[in-house]
Amino acid sequence: MSIAVFFVFAALAIIGGVGVISFHQPIRSVLSLVVVMLSLSVLFLLLSAQFVFAVQIIVYAGAVMVLFLFVIALLGPARDIGRGRLRFQTALSLLFVLALFGLMYALIQGVQYRQPEKADLNFFGTVQSIAVGLFTTYLYPFELTSILLLVAAIGAIYLSRKHIDDL
Amino acid sequence: MSTLNIGGSQLDASWFLLLSAILFVLGAIGVLVRRNPLVILISIELMLNAANLALVTFSRQLLNMEGQLFALMSMTVAAAEAVVGLAILVDIFRVRDVEDIDDLSELKG
Repeated sequence: MSIAVFFVFAALAIIGGVGVISFHQPIRSVLSLVVVMLSLSVLFLLLSAQFVFAVQIIVYAGAVMVLFLFVIALLGPARDIGRGRLRFQTALSLLFVLALFGLMYALIQGVQYRQPEKADLNFFGTVQSIAVGLFTTYLYPFELTSILLLVAAIGAIYLSRKHIDDL
Repeated sequence: MSTLNIGGSQLDASWFLLLSAILFVLGAIGVLVRRNPLVILISIELMLNAANLALVTFSRQLLNMEGQLFALMSMTVAAAEAVVGLAILVDIFRVRDVEDIDDLSELKG
């Protein structure tokens, strides 16, 4: 059962990923990315990461993708023109990316897994276990994250303000 | 050794890692080949998601929560990156219509 779920949603994610890079209208790329994110959220659930699953749907498929859609609606339909300024850019890119994939494949084949730690699978990945990590060991990075979000919000407001007078 | 017992069935952790590698490579192709700046940002999001899948996979394999915590942190950073990147893009588009990212290769105002 789990195997079937994995393969169905893995195939869906790959189809969505191909859609992201092959559609010519950006809005279709965004909708393909939503497909990828929803399939990945199912895989997170399969890996018993319930909280990451919820955050993936709310933050990514909800907030970030709606932001992309708003910007596309704001900018109007833009068409992707075919070729770059560099000659052979597509061929060279595909060559490099193929080499990258070969490298990653070799790494995955040769990876030595550590012995799993002793953990209660009923507790693993729940909101409680996430909170215990976030508010004890990783409290400092967690607080830094809030500053990062504040900086990003201020930066976005500053960048998208109206240019009434050139400051 | 790397098999995960999920719901009574045996899944291999390397399947998840392979899927993550495939999605990452697709995103890399998008960044390198596509010309539209918006599509490049979308492809970067795809790569970040692929990395998150690898993090969560290792977290499950080692039964260690730190991978999931790091995935949450990377989601936050990705959201911040998307917000600032889109704001910069809107600001650029206000000045002129950019259809090719290479049009922005010169650093003049």
